[in-house]
Amino acid sequence: MGSYFDPKLILKFIPDLLKFFPITLGILAGALLVGGVIASLVAFFRIFKIPVLDRISIVYTSFMRGTPTIIQLFLVYYGLPVLLQAIHIDTSNVSEIAFVILAYGLGIGAFLSEIIRGAINSVDKGQREAAYAVGMTTGQVFARVILPQALIVAVPNFTNLLISYLKETSLAFTLGVVDMVGRAFALGNLNYHYLEIYIGLTVIYYIVCIILQRAFSVIEMHTKKHERHLVEG
Amino acid sequence: MGLTIDIHFICTVFIAILKALPVTLQITGVSIFVGLVIGIFAASVRIFKVKVLKQLAEFYVSFTRGTPMLLQLLIVYYAIPQIYDHFAAIYGWTFRSYEIPILVFALIAFSINTGAYMSEVIRSGIMAVEKGQFEACYSVGMTTLQTMSRVVLPQALGISIPMITNMLISLLKGTSIAFTISILEVTGMAKATAATNYNFLEAYLACAILYWGLSMLVERVSGLLEKRVMVYSKGGFA
Repeated sequence: MGSYFDPKLILKFIPDLLKFFPITLGILAGALLVGGVIASLVAFFRIFKIPVLDRISIVYTSFMRGTPTIIQLFLVYYGLPVLLQAIHIDTSNVSEIAFVILAYGLGIGAFLSEIIRGAINSVDKGQREAAYAVGMTTGQVFARVILPQALIVAVPNFTNLLISYLKETSLAFTLGVVDMVGRAFALGNLNYHYLEIYIGLTVIYYIVCIILQRAFSVIEMHTKKHERHLVEG
Repeated sequence: MGLTIDIHFICTVFIAILKALPVTLQITGVSIFVGLVIGIFAASVRIFKVKVLKQLAEFYVSFTRGTPMLLQLLIVYYAIPQIYDHFAAIYGWTFRSYEIPILVFALIAFSINTGAYMSEVIRSGIMAVEKGQFEACYSVGMTTLQTMSRVVLPQALGISIPMITNMLISLLKGTSIAFTISILEVTGMAKATAATNYNFLEAYLACAILYWGLSMLVERVSGLLEKRVMVYSKGGFA
């Protein structure tokens, strides 16, 4: 490491790194989409205790929660082609980003399904019975009574999940994806100012995290607007 | 062409990574312990609203929780030798920065990271302890330090066990990125073992089994521990 630390370089590198922010955001958005679909299915299987699928969901959730994201990335990247090859599908032309999105999606699916399940279970059983008693259909009970209350519980947990996966996207470089982190490594190899580049990147992540947190605290307030306070403070 | 998975190699890797397990456990254990100390300190500073230190602690917690662990690890890895060399040059120390074992950087980075998360856990634990407990302690003449160490913290830690368990599991999994600074912990060892024959899938399957087993073990143990600790609580929570 020949060159000396120069704080001015931090600001110089930030615009260059920001050009790759859409890739990071794209991975996160894609993974949320995949994860959302999986989580809804898994939560459905588990809440209604669908035979077999319920058991599979439990093992899936436990596996995803018990193994590191980086291992999941590698397993999808190396494992999926082997699985698909067995049914004669060639994946050699599929971009790394697809694997990354799928791997993160599988991870988000597991955590999100637990959030959804916990939130729905947190709504008192009596609420459902009361809604049925006044003649609501199952769809109405869910949309008008259960969901608004479940959201109050789910939104803060969802915010935490989103932020933790924003940070996890920093591992996508291990599969060769050139997101902000991938770009940072490439830049560092050019000029050896690793420290300045990494600090710049950290600042970007920090600001994005704060923005997400602020945005979601507004949403959180919004979900609570119907909450009644029987006991103050 | 059917599934091509070399079961025998999974076993080979599994034995290799078991030998690297102490490194993973060492990083996890040291970070949890140091993190607990940092966490208790940062939480106390914030709860007792100590001037300046409170703002510093708040920034530390928010910054550490808002940035990827990978970058924290890399920054520690690149910054500490530079800072050390700077002082070594001034004071003429003979111990050079490249002689520092890489593991030290991982221990520092993971401890700093764990400290921030631990601070939040402890803080919510302390705030869950009823205010009357503080007042009761003061009324029997305890000092703030006695109140904290004898009455409040034992209860706060008990309340925090489920959250500390979650943190411990995520830390255990998080240590897997230590391979990026070429530490041979479980993941690094799996990578190195597979590099000889490119059977990466088998290597990572072995890793997944090991991490999964460890996570479940931690969950079980903490469940038992929680029961023990909560024996003395009169209820109200959990």
